[in-house]
Amino acid sequence: MTQTRRGREHLKQKPESGPGEPVPTPYPYAKAPAFVKTVGTQPEGLPLHSCMGLNSCKGSDRFGLEGHFDPVTGAHVQNDCAGQGYCATTPAHTCHVQNSCKNQGGCGLYGTSKELENPAHNDCRSLGSCAVPINAERFSTDGANRGKSVWQRARKVFEETVWPQTRAELLNKQSMGTVDTNCELPKDLGNAPSEFEGKGPAYQWISNNNVNRSNMTACGSSGTSGAGGCS
Amino acid sequence: MNKHDPITRFTPAERHLIDSLNGSLNRGTALAELKKLLQVAVQIELATIPIYLYTYYSINRTVHSGENMRPSDVFANKTGGMIMSVAVEEMLHMSLSANILYSLGEMPKMYQLAPANYPTVLPAHHQTDKWQPEGPDGSHDVAIPLGKLDYNQLWHFLQIEYPETMDAVPENHDWKTIGQVYSYVRCIIATKWIDDDDFRKGPVEHQIQSFNYSPNNTDTVHTKGKFDPWTPAPETADPDAKPVEGESAAAGAVYSNEDDSHAGATELVTIQGKEDAYIAIDTVCDQGEGYAQPHMHDLPTDDPSKHELSHYYKFLTIQAQFAEYKAHMESGGLHEKLPKYPAPPAAVEPTIGSGELAEVVIDYPENPVTHDYPEELQPISDFCNGVFQYMLVLTETLYLVPPQSQRLFFNEGMHRSMIWVLDKLIKTMRDIPINDGKHKGKFLAATFENINLGHREGSFDTLKVLGSKAIAAAEALIVSDPSVDQHAQSVIYYVEQALSATDAQGAPQHLPDVKAFWNGDKPAPHC
Repeated sequence: MTQTRRGREHLKQKPESGPGEPVPTPYPYAKAPAFVKTVGTQPEGLPLHSCMGLNSCKGSDRFGLEGHFDPVTGAHVQNDCAGQGYCATTPAHTCHVQNSCKNQGGCGLYGTSKELENPAHNDCRSLGSCAVPINAERFSTDGANRGKSVWQRARKVFEETVWPQTRAELLNKQSMGTVDTNCELPKDLGNAPSEFEGKGPAYQWISNNNVNRSNMTACGSSGTSGAGGCS
Repeated sequence: MNKHDPITRFTPAERHLIDSLNGSLNRGTALAELKKLLQVAVQIELATIPIYLYTYYSINRTVHSGENMRPSDVFANKTGGMIMSVAVEEMLHMSLSANILYSLGEMPKMYQLAPANYPTVLPAHHQTDKWQPEGPDGSHDVAIPLGKLDYNQLWHFLQIEYPETMDAVPENHDWKTIGQVYSYVRCIIATKWIDDDDFRKGPVEHQIQSFNYSPNNTDTVHTKGKFDPWTPAPETADPDAKPVEGESAAAGAVYSNEDDSHAGATELVTIQGKEDAYIAIDTVCDQGEGYAQPHMHDLPTDDPSKHELSHYYKFLTIQAQFAEYKAHMESGGLHEKLPKYPAPPAAVEPTIGSGELAEVVIDYPENPVTHDYPEELQPISDFCNGVFQYMLVLTETLYLVPPQSQRLFFNEGMHRSMIWVLDKLIKTMRDIPINDGKHKGKFLAATFENINLGHREGSFDTLKVLGSKAIAAAEALIVSDPSVDQHAQSVIYYVEQALSATDAQGAPQHLPDVKAFWNGDKPAPHC
């Protein structure tokens, strides 16, 4: 019987010529924990999110409650608090419409100007805009944010719109006992991890120094997304 | 708020026709003729889409990317972005014509109405005399082929988008420029027989809404040249900054479309009266042929900000980089075969010759049909055609979906079928070599045929049958030809994305079934 590989891992990565080479040296993210493809265990009751710095609580990031190895201190730690997490917890997807839930879309590649102005802030399943995580190199292709960083826009929308709403919902859940009261919910968000602050997760980090390009792919044919393309 | 194109005033020829139609038509014949011509317009726009997409998919835009781009890669990326920017606007034009038709109480029809074969004469196109300018081969043929990117194919593109002159006569048949058809439509609307209430027969909330349209996406973008793929995108950007080479992709990005290249308040307008219909028609004509105002035909742009080239000039700009264009320019010949306005561009350097073209263009067959492909590949081609036709069914179904669900349906139906299924499937197919038969030595291309999915009500079920056959064919390929293993696996993957994919929670991530919206080929009673 024919053995078919039906996961998306088999999909061919293009372009053929070694995209992004030469890779910048020395590796700029040696002080950051290595990107992992599998999302860690998430604290109960907290929303999944689309990218770095968009998390709601300690332990609510890519590495989850298991935390990550800190190459600088040698300790095993969790991210500190809301807004300080490493990368997306929502199931990775590569394209507009492929998100599973509210606020789990990425942005920048396809979508209307309204969608592109609200990365990681969508109403529901299939209404999100583009791939997650949102790599630092990605720019919006339409609307008021055209030509500008998608991640920085996502962080701004998170700070100004998503977090106040999410925080209120989580405070309510804490009062009802459905979210751990040890989860701090500060009004003002902490900064994203210092290696990526103000820029977002670089594709060089997401791809483990351009070695694992399938860690994240993004739709589109122009080769400008900064990530590996699909098909 | 952005400025936008003003509505075009009636020309003397149009005013003459309006007077004539006021005398020769009556209310019944005027409405019937208007509906008939709008359906023709829908089919004209539809006919252009496979033609442009076929050539688009013959281009590999990222053989080399980022810092490694050669001149041919820069050209390929630019050409792909510009062709896709036109294709996106053709989809807009089809939607605008369909919205007008729907507003009159008539369901727009698209399913199985793409050209029946290629080369094709566009619906009602003039094809009998020597009016058309000579092509590079000296012929006046107006039949448009499905062809890979080359100089001749671009000439056919120019034929489609040929500029209308300000004194052109409106035509309801044998048109020479698409603008003449729309001009005739405008004239019927302007007669005494048509009034605003006629455009309120199809509820405005059921028309395709503006929130579904975006002029640019990552596929309409290209870069000015080489770029550094590792540089983060900036927090701010000067909208008037010129694209630069060697910096980030964002800094080098060129956007082929602009958000002010339309009449009215937005690109994809809904129709509730004569004025709305004029606006929609102006957007169609301006984007295709340029900014249609007196004394403006010498401009290659179609928008007030003068950043977006008309379709005609986009294609001419691509052609201007070909070696053949340079030769024509130097001989003085080309100028005489093109309209005087807008003035043809100077030859663009570096020149792209056949060698450079071969580096980035896939060797597609010309005017392929499925039955000319080897038997083992035919089910894959059939499925591809099935997705194409199902997209047209989905487009028609948009008018039947409850308005509050239209955006979700558009995303899960239209976007997913176009970008997540058809686009990826075609780019997978083009890696599969044809080893036998009429097109031996070429690569598998989408044929864009009107494959029969049966009644619209059961079309998703038929697509499932085609999908099963395509999976079986791909599995057989994996066994018989290990060299295409990866591509065949991808075919299976995309068939499943279309028909059965779910997310981690088990929620559907495949195309929606339209069954609930149709009763046979008629809208279901509740719609």
